[in-house]
Amino acid sequence: MKSFLTKTWRTLSRPSIHISLGVLTLGGFLAGIIFWGGFNTALEATNTEEFCVGCHAENIAPEYEGTIHDQNRSGVRATCPDCHVPHDWTSKVARKIQASKEVFAHFAGFIDTPEKFEDRRIVLAQHEWDRFSSNKSLECRNCHDYDGMDFTKMSPTARIQMKQAKERDQSCLDCHKGIAHHLPENMDSTGGMISQLEQLASNTKFTNGEEYVSVRHLPLYQEKSLSTEAGLLNPASSVKVIDQSGDAIQIEVSGWRKDKGFGRVIQEDFGMNIAVASLLKESATNDQIVEKFERKEDDLTGLPWQRVTAKLWMKKEALLDDVQPIWEQAKQSYQTNCSVCHTQPDEAHFDANTWPGMFNGMMAFVNFDTDSKSLVLKYLQKHSSDFSDGNH
Amino acid sequence: MNNGISTASQDKQKLEWRTFFLITVVLFPVLSVMTVGGYGFFVWMMQIFFLGPPGHGG
Repeated sequence: MKSFLTKTWRTLSRPSIHISLGVLTLGGFLAGIIFWGGFNTALEATNTEEFCVGCHAENIAPEYEGTIHDQNRSGVRATCPDCHVPHDWTSKVARKIQASKEVFAHFAGFIDTPEKFEDRRIVLAQHEWDRFSSNKSLECRNCHDYDGMDFTKMSPTARIQMKQAKERDQSCLDCHKGIAHHLPENMDSTGGMISQLEQLASNTKFTNGEEYVSVRHLPLYQEKSLSTEAGLLNPASSVKVIDQSGDAIQIEVSGWRKDKGFGRVIQEDFGMNIAVASLLKESATNDQIVEKFERKEDDLTGLPWQRVTAKLWMKKEALLDDVQPIWEQAKQSYQTNCSVCHTQPDEAHFDANTWPGMFNGMMAFVNFDTDSKSLVLKYLQKHSSDFSDGNH
Repeated sequence: MNNGISTASQDKQKLEWRTFFLITVVLFPVLSVMTVGGYGFFVWMMQIFFLGPPGHGG
């Protein structure tokens, strides 16, 4: 071995005697062309949809299928590497080397099943979102250039958003997360609002005759054994405790409901669509549970409303004796989530019945779980023009 | 004696060709890949510790 190395070195370090300079240069030149061509071919081969799907067939490929970047009327596609591999050479090579970590994680068994991948998705997604945030979604904008956008061809709502985004040179992913993928499960864009409130609620002591406020959707039951389901209490809804039995409490839900159909949804006040509880048909029509009072007709819709109270049972859970912490959390969540894309309107800019429509139209852009969604909506309704002075 | 010189010279020629192929086909490509890979790794580490993810326009 040693003699082989010394012999090779002695040959290398001296001018060749038998091979001409021309042949040597030509040989090196050709080898260089072949090598660099091969290198780029290999690099490009790892930059194709087929290569990605080779491993991601189970977890990523199915959710990408059918999205606008996969299939659309013009047939122009953006596949995995178009978005996920930087196009600039240095960044691209760095990303390829970085991928060695991902390959390692797969073969070492850290992330080798779709389940483990799902568990880890929020972390992995965050890496990509950080990258897009720092290059202002360069990979999107390689095709979707602000300067190339004809705002007159957009729908009015899109136009307003996109013009503002252009002015701020905003990163696309600020608003368009999950455009080609599923968002991570239980993604907490609410910052753990519900779980924080629920922790707070674990200290609640219950006294008969006092009012308590729910922090999330809570199941309601017909009797104290909590066996027959009666409906759901909405978040941020106030109930009065009238009896207790072990882990169960009897509560009274009062409000108004439309005197039409089964009257399943109890609203907070006459003429206002602020849901307090939704009952199942059996309970809503059960006179033992729902006590009825005066009727009034809503001039605006012509619908008759009736004041009701419902007596139901529920578990001692997720109730607070003060609504203030709920409003604080909801306010924060409203401000952070909505301001990502636009200046959010003042709470009192709309009335309680206008907010649901406005709010639901925006839900496609944030990732609220149903509890957070209802909580923030209720916050907006309860701080709408109907409840504040001197606004609109 | 002449034969002896000629054999030594043939050996030398064989050695030169072998060494030439060794460096053009094996050694230099491997070194190149290592250099590019190392460069990529260096940039990656820089991104982790100093630069952050690649920014707008490089």
